Amino acid sequence: MKDLSRRQVLRGAALTGAGLLAAACATPGDPAGAPKPAMTGAISAANPLGMDENGPLEIVIFDGGFGDAYATKIHEPMFLGRHPKVRLKHVSTKEISGTLQPRFVGGDPPEVINNDGAQALDLAALVQGGQVQDLTPLLDAPSWDDPGRKVREGLLPVAIEAGSFDGKPYSLPYVFMIFGFWYSGKLFDEKGWKPATTWDEFLVLCGEIKKAGIAPFAYAGKYPGYVWEAILTMAVKHGGVDVMRNVDNLEDGAWKVDALRKAATAFGELHAKGYLLQGSEGLNHTESQTRQNGYEVAVIPNGSWLENEQKDVAPADFGYAMFPVPALEAGEALPHAALHAMPGAGFIVASRSKNPTAGMEYLRTMVSSEGAGRYSGLVSTLTTVRGAALPADAKPGLKSAAAALTTAGTDLVNWRVHEWYKEIATELDAATGQLMTGGITADQWVERLQRKADAVKKDSSIKKFSR
Amino acid sequence: MRHGRRRFVIGFLTVPVLLYVVYVISPYAQAFQISMTDWRGIDARPEFVGLANFRRLLEDPVFWKAISHNAILLACLPVITLGLALLFAYLLNAGGDRPGTGIRGSRFYRVVFFFPQVLSVTIIAVMFQSVLRPDRSGVVNGLLMQLGLEPVGFLTDPGLALWSVLGVLVWQAVGFYVVLFSAGMAAIPRELHEAAQIDGAGSAASFFQVTLPLLRHTVQVGWVYLGVAAFDAFSIVFVLSAEHGGPDYSTTVLANEVYRNAFGYAKFGYASAIGVALFFCTITFAALTLRLTRRDRLEY
Amino acid sequence: MAVDVHPAVRQRTARPLRAPRASLRLGRLAHLALILWAILVIVPMLWTFLASFKDTAEIFGPAWTLPARLRLDNWARAVDQAHIGTYLVNTVIVVLLSTAGTMVLGSMAAYVLARYPFRGSGAIYLLLVSGMAFPVYLALTPLFFVVKNTGSIPVIGPFIGLDTHGGLVLVYIAYSLPFTVFFLTAFFKTLPTSVAEAAFMDGASHSRIFFRVMLPMARPALTGITIFNVLGQWNQYQLPLVLLSGNARDKWVLTQGIADISTATGYSADWGALFAALSMSILPMLAVYIVFQRHIQAGMTEGALK
Repeated sequence: MKDLSRRQVLRGAALTGAGLLAAACATPGDPAGAPKPAMTGAISAANPLGMDENGPLEIVIFDGGFGDAYATKIHEPMFLGRHPKVRLKHVSTKEISGTLQPRFVGGDPPEVINNDGAQALDLAALVQGGQVQDLTPLLDAPSWDDPGRKVREGLLPVAIEAGSFDGKPYSLPYVFMIFGFWYSGKLFDEKGWKPATTWDEFLVLCGEIKKAGIAPFAYAGKYPGYVWEAILTMAVKHGGVDVMRNVDNLEDGAWKVDALRKAATAFGELHAKGYLLQGSEGLNHTESQTRQNGYEVAVIPNGSWLENEQKDVAPADFGYAMFPVPALEAGEALPHAALHAMPGAGFIVASRSKNPTAGMEYLRTMVSSEGAGRYSGLVSTLTTVRGAALPADAKPGLKSAAAALTTAGTDLVNWRVHEWYKEIATELDAATGQLMTGGITADQWVERLQRKADAVKKDSSIKKFSR
Repeated sequence: MRHGRRRFVIGFLTVPVLLYVVYVISPYAQAFQISMTDWRGIDARPEFVGLANFRRLLEDPVFWKAISHNAILLACLPVITLGLALLFAYLLNAGGDRPGTGIRGSRFYRVVFFFPQVLSVTIIAVMFQSVLRPDRSGVVNGLLMQLGLEPVGFLTDPGLALWSVLGVLVWQAVGFYVVLFSAGMAAIPRELHEAAQIDGAGSAASFFQVTLPLLRHTVQVGWVYLGVAAFDAFSIVFVLSAEHGGPDYSTTVLANEVYRNAFGYAKFGYASAIGVALFFCTITFAALTLRLTRRDRLEY
Repeated sequence: MAVDVHPAVRQRTARPLRAPRASLRLGRLAHLALILWAILVIVPMLWTFLASFKDTAEIFGPAWTLPARLRLDNWARAVDQAHIGTYLVNTVIVVLLSTAGTMVLGSMAAYVLARYPFRGSGAIYLLLVSGMAFPVYLALTPLFFVVKNTGSIPVIGPFIGLDTHGGLVLVYIAYSLPFTVFFLTAFFKTLPTSVAEAAFMDGASHSRIFFRVMLPMARPALTGITIFNVLGQWNQYQLPLVLLSGNARDKWVLTQGIADISTATGYSADWGALFAALSMSILPMLAVYIVFQRHIQAGMTEGALK
């Protein structure tokens, strides 16, 4: 230390200071994200996409309801089995956006991202920014199990459509979520209650349930998405698929149609009729689900992941079952068996990651029969992979959802407005919360959403999509 | 006192100012820059859009709602917190039944009142979610319902939710100021109060004529701090309220809209514009208060 | 935090006001009000603690019931999954270092700005103090890049970049400077100049005067603001969220851990473990506070009196 002259110390300090100042000057406007040439390798039967077999592969899994064991125990070992030299790195987080958004700006995103959860990245913005890999090469590649069959053929068409923006596939939704009204098979059997097919029947059922001293219906008031999902489904059944297509495409007056107004009226009346669980408006989703497990409430609007989410809480003999959202009236545009089926839990590949082709190769592993089949078994849910059979020991709720899906056939309903325009999703939350507590009428609900849609349409800074 | 002065000043200021410029000023300068772009948080080259984000701001009803909520918090949080703290501090000191000790148990009260200060805000918010639940599982409503009363939608009634948020903020802040003020009050010589009482002042008058003026500066510093806290209020609102600032935007504040627009809608340009507006609100408040609380150099 | 008491008056022994007989009623009302507030403060924490022994059904049952039995497995799960111990240690390390740094650098800057006016010192003061008005999340993304870039400075980079405690400490210091400087500048202005001048006549250097004369005189104010900074930095959530990513879980601080468990209840409905984790982070804080409360309150008292 003695030899270190004062001058040297000062110079070192000055250099450090200069380094700090230089560090302060990097703006996100720097061309840091300029595309770099992606790594490639030789194309072969084992490596049809031509990825760099020695390159890195970072996989970021959303650590939510499905955990991340399916990646570490199933997909990653499968991948490494064929491509042992790839330097695979596994990360799991509950904060996808907070963790990854700065990395995208910095031009250093991971290869594979399971973009899911409340803190998911805004996919539309990512696509707009050219950050997401077009998955067409993957879809056209031979499948993992059978070189004679393309990946595309092994996937449900509705999944490819749901991952597309302006016709190009950017995201691969892996889980097939089926929405409906969920109940306890055991409770319904005990009381002799039957699932309802029309709204009038449902109201009669609600009356009976209430007489039995149980709240007929509850929703997750903190996340009104669980109930507007049902309202929109009901509207589509009544008015046909164009109802939500027009909404998605921001057509003028798309919200001000009879189907949406009537569906909102129906759900709004639950409050006035006293069919809601007291305090429902203050529950989050797990709270509402736990109330149902305690037989305080009979029916909740929810999705096919419910059973897995509640596996540690629900009584062993609860017997989860679901029925489609009832039809407003008999004889509508779609049969009452029609379902809102949403491909979800999207996987994307970052186009500006170091090794995007390896990312696609990883997705090819996931959508193999083996990858999807074992996944279904582990997390007890349906996937978007065609014909991946239900696990033999499937639980009652999963079986019920699968049966409803079979009955629905091709009458599957879906929409994109909440993904494309988050502003409208927020307004849907806010307005639906008020609708369900009697704060506003169905007319006002329709009015507010139309106003928001008009504002979004007018806002030139928001990229528009259509289908 | 001239010798070596220059070197000393530079030596003492360089490191703090450097750290501050690097970690605080430069990010904010960049945020100002971003507020004039259409940056969506992801693409590398944002487009410069001038003041378009600010024009959009003026037409955004949610922005105005948020600003009005900040104004309500700013008007109420310091007044209620400082008022309660002064009251409790006064009761601790003046309510005693033996001379020289303050009220019986005053040590206990001071320790307990300070508890919320040592809890982190996220913990408080998660805790109060359970306390304020709208049914019998809520701590407050459980009690009300046992008394045969109707449950209250503390966080679910849009007319009430902001006041519940305010209540939690007050709950958290009061203890700190109780300890602070009661220390100050204990230092006020008894003779001053006695003199006031001889002049015919009651306890209330003696409080306003003697105690309050002597605590003036402490109260003012607390006012600035609570005012700045009222402009923030993000963590509590974000974690505690339904729909992150709901129901129906009834509890949203500017900071929450910055967050929503940035991380929810990926509109970093617009979010930064809200942040810049928030900055000017806070700085105006701080400047006004600082002006009022400025103290001249005292020598004695 | 100063009370404007005339110095001559302050010399006498300070004693609380003696309550006159007439205000016995006030005494009762006082007790009532104070007890009420004490209950308001304690009940939420007590309920959280009790809830940490309940199962999910009990947590959602009537609030005013005791757990049927002590379910210690809630605590076991919280320890296993939540690593509350690690987070607690991390938080203590970070807050200790950053508070110390804040106090040293903050008091240095405040002292110079208060007592060595020069051209531009007013501007520097305003610049530093204006930071109180900045909303932190506005800076989050640019700040991420600043810290990321500092990680590539030679030699010291690896200690102050992303996912390091060093980087977080420096950021905490920088963000605590505004209030610290604001508070201490006002304070240093009130200290008498005569002592410093006498020391200077004796040949003491400026920095010696600062460390040997002025800092000891400023101890009360320093204690007060130290407490402020410890509490503020202990509570930080946004900054660590961005600067210590999911890649560096072993470096996480407590608030991140709590938020993580709280989010997790959205996916696995383990409410008992959530409340156990909450209790686990509340109890040590309360214990530390109760042990040190005399010092903390004495520090604040001195701060308030000056």
